[in-house]
Amino acid sequence: MIPNKEFQKISSTFIHTEFNPILHLCEFDFKPLKYMSKKVTDLTKKVLISVFSYLLVSVVFAQEISSDEAVIAAGEATFKANCTQCHQVHKKVIGPALANVYDRQSVEWLIPWIQNSQKVIASGDEYAVALYEEYNKTQMTSYPGSVDDIMGILAYIKAETEKGPPVEEVAVAAADGAEGDSVSSSYLTAIIIILVVVLLLALVALVIAVNTLTKYLKEKKDLGEEEEELVNQSFDLMATLKSNSFIGAVVFVFTLLVLKTLIDGAFTIGVQTGYQPTQPIAFSHKIHAGQYEIDCQYCHTGVRKSKSANIPSPNICMNCHTQVKSESEEIQKIYAAIDYDPSTQTYGTNTKPIEWVRVHNLPDLAYFNHSQHVAVAEIECQTCHGPIEEMEVVYQYSNLTMGWCINCHRDTDVNTKGNEYYNELVKLHSERSKEPMKVEDIGGLECAKCHY
Amino acid sequence: MRMLKTTLNYIAFLVAGSFLVSCAAGEDDTGLEYSPQMYHATSYEPLTQIVDEDAGNWLDSNDEDGHGEFYNSNPYNPYKMTMREPVPNTVRRGQPLPYRYTVDDLEAAALVESPIPADDADVIAQGKELYESYCQHCHGAKGEGDGKVAEAYAGVANLKGAAYVELSEGYIFHVITYGRNLMGAHGSQVSPEDRWRIARYVKELQKK
Repeated sequence: MIPNKEFQKISSTFIHTEFNPILHLCEFDFKPLKYMSKKVTDLTKKVLISVFSYLLVSVVFAQEISSDEAVIAAGEATFKANCTQCHQVHKKVIGPALANVYDRQSVEWLIPWIQNSQKVIASGDEYAVALYEEYNKTQMTSYPGSVDDIMGILAYIKAETEKGPPVEEVAVAAADGAEGDSVSSSYLTAIIIILVVVLLLALVALVIAVNTLTKYLKEKKDLGEEEEELVNQSFDLMATLKSNSFIGAVVFVFTLLVLKTLIDGAFTIGVQTGYQPTQPIAFSHKIHAGQYEIDCQYCHTGVRKSKSANIPSPNICMNCHTQVKSESEEIQKIYAAIDYDPSTQTYGTNTKPIEWVRVHNLPDLAYFNHSQHVAVAEIECQTCHGPIEEMEVVYQYSNLTMGWCINCHRDTDVNTKGNEYYNELVKLHSERSKEPMKVEDIGGLECAKCHY
Repeated sequence: MRMLKTTLNYIAFLVAGSFLVSCAAGEDDTGLEYSPQMYHATSYEPLTQIVDEDAGNWLDSNDEDGHGEFYNSNPYNPYKMTMREPVPNTVRRGQPLPYRYTVDDLEAAALVESPIPADDADVIAQGKELYESYCQHCHGAKGEGDGKVAEAYAGVANLKGAAYVELSEGYIFHVITYGRNLMGAHGSQVSPEDRWRIARYVKELQKK
């Protein structure tokens, strides 16, 4: 075959001639050859491409989403380790809900997307770009795992999609529970009613028996004097009430009761134990500190660092409540206070303070420092504040009187472990006494320690 | 007649008794306060304040101030609040210089080195304590995103996830400060030194 280049040379040699038989000849001879050679390369290319793409496609299609339990379990682990911070199967979180994702896009689209979404977006894929725009240009973190891992994730998503959202199950379970409760409580009421009826019947029977017996005894003539007195005894209520001994006893008992109430009442003056004010927002420590085990310090940030434990600012609430229970009436009160719009997730400027009601109010004349007690002495919050994690509404647990402070300072050992500050004091104390060093021993009872 | 008198006496006792019982605190009632001036500071208090100008009129010791004994609010502040935010662009004494990076500077922030020396022996124990207070309820004791709150709050990061194990301390510090995706900003709660301690501890946790 004559190479194309040579043909060009030949033709250019004769190009200026108006008519050149050789050129015509050449054209006639070589054109088909040239055409054929092009055709052959195109064909090879096409064949190669189609073979390659067939291979590629068959590789991808070979990986259908598995329904094997082992694969699903592995996929669940991968999903929970890498995806749950932005995705849920049935709920939109940061990224879209993933139920049916394999129907929305093919597996061969999803794999490169999961591996590097930015690359897919950069390639100009319409769906990818639209998705990126819809989610405010939030970049999906590239997943560095293998294709097998991704197939596992998809298997888990498919299994979850087929299971359906879990909400209904929960609702059904709750309804069941409520029914069970009402059944058992109505059962209890029935038992009580039956018991009361039985007791009343017994009482009636007894009264009838007493009456019959009295009647019978009265009809009998051969009773002794004492016995007759007993049978004919009549109870004079007025005479008993007017008797001196009765009035005396009543007066005595009442004087005792009044004195007791008086003393008890006097001891509650200025002591606010049990004070349980209604707060502007029904915040439950039982849910937050109890159920969800959030550390006290997470919200009461000052407790280890300053005199007061601090009332948390709403931005701490918003760490969770941008998402959690955002439709709740109580949470709406936070939104109103900080002028937050949950639909657009933006903050306005029309803010106002939330006026929490102070529960524990130590009089001004006494100094108390939280950090000394919590950070240095390592006293649990519950020691003074009671079972906060069980309180729906917080109440004052301890009485916060001086006697209460002093008693604790007498009984408590100073926490000197790992605290160099106390080294010398411990040395001095151990020279004089074999008892452990109490707060009392280092001036915990000095007036000026708290009153100045 | 005498009977009626006795009954009246009973009632009188009961009423007197109930009055005394009502000295105790409960529900919304603080109970009877002994020398109430001591409970209601006249000085400005950051965490307690009385906005009602008539509060404590009945034992007012100063007729000239124009308000009751208990009123202690600052009329010049918004909502008469006594608690104020720190003045912008000021630094507390003894504190490190403020963190200048803004939310979007994540890439640059990731390159910031921790000011805590690498051979600081105490930092892991301190960081653990802080992690337990500030992070554990969401991210879980082992950092696997399985804390109690994660049950109610979808999208807690598994700190041992492939996308997180390689992150630098500077990156973690930045995310604690400003939050990221669903995580809220914790800069107001955790001091900068403590944030670096937590970051060091998280790196330690990820190795386990």
